[in-house]
Amino acid sequence: MNKKWNVTYIIRRQKASQEPRDESFTIEVDPDEYVLDGVERIWAFHDRSLTFRHACHHSTCGACAMRVNGVEKLTCITTIRSVTQDGGTLRVEPLRNFPVVSDLVVDMSSMYLRLEDAAFAQVAPLPATGLPYEGDPATEDPHFERLVDCIECGCCISACPIATTTSTYMGPAVLAGIEHAFKQSHDLSLLDMADREDGVWRCHSAFECSAVCPSNVDPGWRIMNLRRMVTGNRVRRFFGLRPQKGNTK
Amino acid sequence: MKNASAPQNFPRWFDPRRRQMGTWGFILNRITALGLTLYLFLHLLALSQLAQGASAYDNFIALVEHPLLKLGEMLVIAAGLIHGLNGIRIALNSFGIGTRYQRPLFLGLMALALVGIAIFGVKMFFFS
Amino acid sequence: MDKPHAIIIGAGFTGCALAHDLALRGFSVQVVERGELTSGTSGRTHGLLHSGGRYCVNDQEAAIECIDENILLRKIAKQCIEFNGGLYVALNDEDEAYAEVFAQGAEACHIPIERLNAKRTLELEPAVNPQVLMSFLVPDGAFDPLRLALAFAATAAKNGARFSAYTQVEGLLIDGQRRVVGVNVWDRSSDRRYELRGDIVVNATGAWAGEIAKMAGLHVPVVPTPGVMVAYNCRLIQRVINRLARPGDGDIIIPQRRMMCIGTTSFQVEDIDYIPVFDEQVELMHRSAVELVPGVKNTQERGAWMSARPLVGKLEAGRSMSRTFIAIDHQKTDGVGGLVTITGGKATTCRAMAEKTADTVCDNLGLSIPCQTKHIPLESYRSFYRYQESRA
Repeated sequence: MNKKWNVTYIIRRQKASQEPRDESFTIEVDPDEYVLDGVERIWAFHDRSLTFRHACHHSTCGACAMRVNGVEKLTCITTIRSVTQDGGTLRVEPLRNFPVVSDLVVDMSSMYLRLEDAAFAQVAPLPATGLPYEGDPATEDPHFERLVDCIECGCCISACPIATTTSTYMGPAVLAGIEHAFKQSHDLSLLDMADREDGVWRCHSAFECSAVCPSNVDPGWRIMNLRRMVTGNRVRRFFGLRPQKGNTK
Repeated sequence: MKNASAPQNFPRWFDPRRRQMGTWGFILNRITALGLTLYLFLHLLALSQLAQGASAYDNFIALVEHPLLKLGEMLVIAAGLIHGLNGIRIALNSFGIGTRYQRPLFLGLMALALVGIAIFGVKMFFFS
Repeated sequence: MDKPHAIIIGAGFTGCALAHDLALRGFSVQVVERGELTSGTSGRTHGLLHSGGRYCVNDQEAAIECIDENILLRKIAKQCIEFNGGLYVALNDEDEAYAEVFAQGAEACHIPIERLNAKRTLELEPAVNPQVLMSFLVPDGAFDPLRLALAFAATAAKNGARFSAYTQVEGLLIDGQRRVVGVNVWDRSSDRRYELRGDIVVNATGAWAGEIAKMAGLHVPVVPTPGVMVAYNCRLIQRVINRLARPGDGDIIIPQRRMMCIGTTSFQVEDIDYIPVFDEQVELMHRSAVELVPGVKNTQERGAWMSARPLVGKLEAGRSMSRTFIAIDHQKTDGVGGLVTITGGKATTCRAMAEKTADTVCDNLGLSIPCQTKHIPLESYRSFYRYQESRA
């Protein structure tokens, strides 16, 4: 049993049409508890008007992403120990670059619908789910299927400096989704979908998406890989060659 | 809504707090790009002095020898090196080269930029 | 009569599946959920798509429901199910002795199983405890909880159902004839309170069903029974690994994405709005997981959480209670009209629960409309946001 800590959650609150404000709640926690446990306890025992998204509590659904001390975190797997100390504070804010619905809840439908347009499937044959630069795909049995790494939590879009200013930018999650979907389907229209100003060319290589991704998607790498494939495909098309297929290395 | 994506959020581009190395690359590239653009206009303005005749040009050259302006020139060189080398990193990454090593690539190229700046600095202040 | 108007309280698996079912039957449906969709018990399930094996000895009714719905869900909700099968592994003589009972139970429930010897078991799943004596291959799977519920909700929304999240029911509107005619709600996102009226109110709040029923002075026999689950940061297995024994604590490891989840325990608490995660239960889970898959000891905990399952029955709580569900028409049981309670069950059987509940609702309103959910593939879960948006 750990020694309990006293930790002050500073939570960004905002209801419809109100100005945002910060509200503090000091609670007793076990340092190995997760940030989301504290938020849920504040709702249960201190303020029932607090709204936040959460569902699975084990990093498979992607609902509970928030900014913790200014960094995008999946709060269900972020231990309190990793973000504050005994007697310390812990600032919890909604993800950026999405409109706030209420308190810590943001409206991420723009991201979901763009991912939907890319027809990015959540379940794929095992060899098509991971990043090609890791592991040995030969040992991965194609008869198995796997839920892909991207849990659509929105962390990458919140951390992206371009998504901060350009709402029409597809954003890292969506571009990574297109890269992944292309691997699943080899549908060339996906490359065309990404090959536009607000697509793959809008990224300015800050790589913050990959820095905050809690789920091994490496969107920065995927955007660059998509760029490479888009360019290669254009070059081939220019010379009247057959389009590239399947080569995703 | 204040939290949504909007052009007026652009000052956030320059806020590196809690962000990683990639953001420094991003910020440096934006600042140097703005600096170089500004310099381009100053440069054209200066060149236009040529049209005013030889004495005007000589006066202008004398002005340029001022240490403060030399420092300005140093900044131009620094900006050129940083922006150019950082751009090489981004171009390489965009062709799928070294994307996973963008951090060491950034550090290496910026070290190279520092060396270049130092060489130019020594040349400019001690050998001219 | 116009479209009958149903208000569903709770957007867990049951609420979402019921909204889908009733929308297809031509109801105008309004779902109110006090948190995010599936933020209660549903989201926190370990995501096991049951083959029914777990219940085929003790609770064959539940086992048959499971295998039937397992097959159906794989057709209509393929989009969020990893279907790689599962193993029931025998690690000692006692487990092996249970094999015969298990095989008979599985046969009685029409669960397709295949007996494997130790060597074959370890070929299929090399990370399983090498002391394994034999195993059964079963059609288990794993699903993403939020996305499964959203797929139902998306299809419901496409057919006109409305979902109001962060909207908490604070009271039931009851008229002079002891009939529930609507609900008082508090929209927590805008801090607004208002009334909703409908022809029928369905209490689909699972473990919280007792609290809603209490608002009408009624009692429903649901016992919230929490259990702990632990997720590890590494996936050593492709299939679900179950202990070949009578259901007990920590006897299932469910792989999902790059993780493994182990569950679960079974106990009772007073307040289910917040259930603490007890260290000793996490340690118990860890020990059980290491027994099934020894490699777990080299992995890291990625998450630990509690979920309150709604068990029904008037018996003592715990594992002996039935995992099947009950749909109660309070008109028949208590003389209170306009209110139906659905509780119990499990995620795998949510569609069947919705079918039974929708039948009860139709019966209550004197309607006879058949269920259509068996053969209609669900819309993409993401399209929930499209259909919700287009209405806003």
